[in-house]
Amino acid sequence: MKDLVRQKLSIHVEIMDLLNEQIKKEAHSSSIYLAMASWCDHNALDYSAEFFYEQSLEEREHMMKIFRFINDNGGTAYSPEVSTINHEYNSLEEIFETALDQEIKITKSIHNIVFQCRKLQDLTTENFLQWFVHEQMEEEQTIRRALELFDLMGSEGLALKLLDERIPHIRKK
Amino acid sequence: MTVLFESQFFTSYQAEKGRYFIFDFNHKMIKLSFCQLLAFRQKVKEIDLEKHFTGENEHGMEILLLCNREHMFIFNTLEVIDLKQFVKGTFAMLELNSLVY
Ligand SMILES: [Fe+2]
Ligand SMILES: [Fe+2]
Repeated sequence: MKDLVRQKLSIHVEIMDLLNEQIKKEAHSSSIYLAMASWCDHNALDYSAEFFYEQSLEEREHMMKIFRFINDNGGTAYSPEVSTINHEYNSLEEIFETALDQEIKITKSIHNIVFQCRKLQDLTTENFLQWFVHEQMEEEQTIRRALELFDLMGSEGLALKLLDERIPHIRKK
Repeated sequence: MTVLFESQFFTSYQAEKGRYFIFDFNHKMIKLSFCQLLAFRQKVKEIDLEKHFTGENEHGMEILLLCNREHMFIFNTLEVIDLKQFVKGTFAMLELNSLVY
């Protein structure tokens, strides 16, 4: 019997499921960061707001990268539903801590798909995901730099304003 | 046609010629392209069987629209259980075929 599935699909069907799950997670991240941007805007932390707007956009780009990868390889990508986005935060520090937690979750999720790719011998997707492995490393480093600023400068009164102004510099150029 | 998988109520085939699959639902046969096969798989995966037992799905019925709403199926709880097995089995056979091809 000829291999009809392989004729149509270049990636493993179970990996496709995991990638569709990842699409949801990236969309969720994008919405979380958008909520954070809004919080920062309302609290007159303009630079942090800008950081999270940018971050939100990047997550959407990650999502689209995976979305197109699935469809380009003969699979079916599903448009994600996003729900339960938290808008309540106590401080900017809490926001960055939450952001780091979120990135770590995403890193683990990407790594898990890579491990599954190895198990199912899907080299195409494994190779595609290498970019994400690298990206996640950078994302974690970026947010960690923000948290270091809190350790260094504190966040009382004027320090918070000054810290906010340093936020544009935490991204690696 | 080559039989892929047979569950209690349903049978799947791969066409000898042409690039399509056939699902036999006892009373009705439908032809599916690969893309439609993936969509079918997704719909069956999304069915929450638990709801049939917690009373959330009051009548224990699932309505499935397939192939861009060309076909409509109504399944009861037993059929849904079988359907999930059927889809798993069909894809397992396809994977096996990929390995030996
Ligand atoms: Fe991401
Ligand atoms: Fe990220």
